[in-house]
Formats: sequence, structure tokens, C-alpha cells
Amino acid sequence: MEKPFILHMLTTAKNLSPFDVNMAMDAGWISAIPYINVEPSEVRGLVQDAIFSRSPKGLLRTAIFIGGRETKQAMDMLKMAKNSMVPPFEVSVFADPSGAFTTAAGMVAAVEKELAEKFDTTLEGKNVIALGGTGPVGQAAAVIAAQAGAKVRIIGRQLDKAERTAELCSEEFGDGKITVLAGADADKTEYMKTADVVFATGAAGIELLSTELISQAAQLKVAADVNAVPPAGIAGVDAFDNGKPLAGSTSGAVGIGALAIGNIKYQAQSRLLKRMLESDQPLFLHFEHAFEVAREFIKSSK
Amino acid sequence: MAKRSILHMFDPMPNNSPFDINMALDAGFDVLMPYSNVKLETIHNLTQDAIFSRSPSASKKTAIFIGGRDMGMAIDMLQATKPAMVPPFEVSVFADPSGACTTAAALVACVEKALKQHHGKELKGSKAVVFGGTGPVGIATGVIASLQGAETILVDHLSIDSAKDAAKQYNRRFGATMSGGVARNDEEKAALIADADLVFCTAKAGIRVINAAVLAQAKQLKVAGDVNAVPPSGIEGIELNDLSAPLTLANQSTNAVGVGALAIGNVKYQLQHELLKMMLEAEKPVFLDFREAFTKARTLV
Repeated sequence: MEKPFILHMLTTAKNLSPFDVNMAMDAGWISAIPYINVEPSEVRGLVQDAIFSRSPKGLLRTAIFIGGRETKQAMDMLKMAKNSMVPPFEVSVFADPSGAFTTAAGMVAAVEKELAEKFDTTLEGKNVIALGGTGPVGQAAAVIAAQAGAKVRIIGRQLDKAERTAELCSEEFGDGKITVLAGADADKTEYMKTADVVFATGAAGIELLSTELISQAAQLKVAADVNAVPPAGIAGVDAFDNGKPLAGSTSGAVGIGALAIGNIKYQAQSRLLKRMLESDQPLFLHFEHAFEVAREFIKSSK
Repeated sequence: MAKRSILHMFDPMPNNSPFDINMALDAGFDVLMPYSNVKLETIHNLTQDAIFSRSPSASKKTAIFIGGRDMGMAIDMLQATKPAMVPPFEVSVFADPSGACTTAAALVACVEKALKQHHGKELKGSKAVVFGGTGPVGIATGVIASLQGAETILVDHLSIDSAKDAAKQYNRRFGATMSGGVARNDEEKAALIADADLVFCTAKAGIRVINAAVLAQAKQLKVAGDVNAVPPSGIEGIELNDLSAPLTLANQSTNAVGVGALAIGNVKYQLQHELLKMMLEAEKPVFLDFREAFTKARTLV
């Protein structure tokens, strides 16, 4: 009998997200086992218990998922998990805290698609403004876009928090190879004048960008909003919008709503969960890989 | 549709061990349900909820596993499930906190086999010293050896009182006859192993408990077993895969042999697998702790 596929699901929160559990089962994992309130210091012990109880062959049918709420913590746990492997006793690990990595990947991939189709261009050299960008989705989207060559500025209500987040993105997640900038929400009128792309990744139900500011954005091309709860994060962007002309834009910008992004996010998460099932060697997956598969999906659905 | 097999995994800790999860699924259980932060007083109700929700004919398809880190707690929990059963509504229960029951059973079975093969002797009448004796594996090792008739000392590395308390507590629980000892330094270790026939090392992983100088003080050592798989080994000169390999560092003892952590680990792995399967296959519900584990381990070595 072939050994069953087991996904050990670790979270620092007091419960797993049912979203992740459904996704894991639908991707083909037979058992999804929850480990809750996990302290980062416990990762090593849990990983080694997982790897030493199956043969290297059986471990190809074993993996670890890291959830939780915090980006840096999840990345630290992913690194710790990787360092706890004792080859050939090792398993794949996939970090996607609050689904933020796959959501961010879905958003950036959708934006990239609109840039190519409507404006015949790429993210390279574009000014990207990440409104409400200090949260998990904003952080991951900023890093992914910057790695694709964009000039990204994270905007927050508190400048010092935005600055700390930008530094975390550049140094920690971008490995010092990218530079993400910061700005205060109070100055966004100024930043919008030269923005090519806007991400809205703030808390649900808060309008981050008004029609007035949109009309002043002379070179705005794409505005993406992950918020599905009215009012929209970007005025005039409906959750179903997928490249629809943005009301009030003087530059011909288009909007992408939460459900269009959600569709790509779903595909990206599903593909990464399946990759771990199918791979004949251990994989360590995070936002970069999520973007890779999100792009793959967009390419395949053309 | 045939009923799927369900293993209810009760754990006093915040989470189950991924080790036990992998083992249980590989043994053939269809569905695992983790219950974390379980308290002793809730065991009765949890057990009854498990037995009364399926017909007795499905009892082979339902079982309980008790994990955690603490041997006393796990045994108390195992005991607490028994009065909760209402025959014919009853299910199998297996306690193996930190895998300690199966590790200890495998360790003693491997050492016993080496003792017979190389020295023609039994555990009965032998003098056994258990280093790391107050941890879960040490306690189970000590009880098994003592119940087989070995004169057994549980050794703590800090406090004689902890060792004596543990010995007294587990003697009472299991009818064993262990004593307590302390080994804070090499002199105390040497004194303890000077006339020992058997040395069990069940201390923390990655800690060298017995070095060559201490080993050279043993006058009649016959077999030493070490469960520490993380270098350096707990006993100097024992390699991970040693299965009755000559322990030449014990140069005052004749024909002393050593058993290493991977050799013991192989038996432990098979043993845990077999005990989990036993719950799925036994005609009558079984209650498994380190004593049953040892009985089974003997058939495996």
C-alpha cells in the first residue's frame, strides 16, 4: 500500500484557516493535521518529529504548511524548518501566512497582465504605490513587484511604521537586492501624480483612494484592490472588475477587483500545494514561488 | 459504506507529535483526530463520547492514542480510560508519550538480547543503571528492567531526591523495586557503573554522559545501550548502528558490548507500527503501555 499524503499544518494562531484546509484537501492531500499556537521555537522539534518517522521515500508524501498572521514570522519559521532537515530526511515546506503570499502574487500577476495587454509594457521601472501597504499582503506585493523591477513605495498612515516595513521588505525579504521606499498617507496626493500602478491592500471597508485623486493621476495605468467589502479600497473598483476602465481616470487606467485577484490567488495556492505532492525533491515555497505559479496560470489561461 | 477507522489522539500538550501522526497514518488508520491540552479529568467523558457514538461492531475501527511528554500523566490517562468503558462499548487504548514507551521497550529488548547472546545471562539478577533515569524514557526503561528482575537504579544528573522520588513513585504504580542515584560528576558516574552489569543511557540528546575514563572504571559491564542519536553519543565508543558491537573502552570488563541509537530506533519504529496495527486488528480491545510494548519488542529482536 502506498503511504497516505500527510500535510502537517502549523500556525501561530489559535486555529488554522478553513480556507487553507479546504485548499490542501482539494489539492490531493489525504490528511491535513493541525498544530495550533505553535511557537517559532517549537518548529525544529515538530519538523524533526515529522522527518524521522518516515523513510526518505515516504517523506516525498509528507509536507509542512506554515500559516499564521505575520509575514516575517512565517518566513523565519520557513527558514528554521529548512535548517532542521537532516538529508536525506527532509520534506517540502510552504509558507503562506493569512494567504498573503498567494494573494499578493495573484494581485501582482493580474497587474502585470493588464500592463502587457492594455499598455504593452511591464513592471520594469514603473512607479508602484502600495496603499495600506504595511500589512502582510502589502509587504509581499511590494517585494514581488520590486523583484520584477518596479519602483515600489509603501504608504501607511504612520510614516515610521511604513519606513520599518519598507526596510523589512528590502533587507529581509528582498535579501538586500531590492529597495522598497516608504511614504506617509498624508503625502499620497503628491505620490499619485507620478504613479503608474496602485495596490490597495488596506483593512477591509476603508477607501484609500478617492475619485478625485484618480483624476489627478496623470500616468496611472492599473489600480488593483484586494478589498471585497464595500466601500471599495479604490473608488469605482468593483470586486468583479477585471481590467475594466477606471471611472474618473484621465490616463485610461483600468481596475482589478478582489474576486479577479482571488481567482488567481486560488490557482497559485492550489498549484503550490500540488507541487509539493508531485515533486521528487523537497521544495521550500514562499511568495516568489507563488508569483512564479501565478504567472504560469495567467500564461496558460490566455 | 464500510466505516473508516478513527484514531482519537488525546494529548495534554498544546499539540500532538508529528511523529505519532505519521506513524498512525502509516499503520493504516484512515482518520486522525487531534485533541490538544487535554486534562486528566476530561478523559472519562472524551472516552465515553468515543465509545457511545459507534456500534460495538465498529469498535475495532475506533481507538485512542495518548501522547504528551510526561510518563506519569500518560499512564494516569490510560488508567482513566478503563473505568470509562462500558462493555460491549469499548475501544483499544495505547499510551506512548514522546514515544518513550516504545523507545524504552526497544532499548531493553535489544540489551536483553545482547546479554543472552554474548554473556548467556538474563535480566533477572543483573545490576542495571539508568542514566537520564528521571525522564520519560528512563523511567519506562527502569520499570521494564526492574519488573524483569534486574536490580535497577534510576540516576538523575542533579538531585538524589528527584531520583529517589521517581523510583518510589513508579515502584508504587507498577510494583517495581527500583532505587535512586545521582551522578553529578565523573566520580559519581564511575562509582555507579563500577559493579553494573548493564548501563542504559536515556539522557538528553547530544549530551555525552559516559566518557572513556568513566567507562574504564566498569569492572563487570556486559551490555550498554544508548538511545541518543545526536552526536556526541551518550556513551563514548558506541556508534549509531552498533548492535552488540564490542565496547573496547570498557577495558576492565570482559566482552562488554554496546547497542546504538539507530539499532534501537529500528526496533522502536517497527514496534510502534505493530502496536498501532494491533489496535486495528485485535478481536478484543487492548490497553497498551510500556509493559505490553516490551512483550512485543521481545518478539521483534
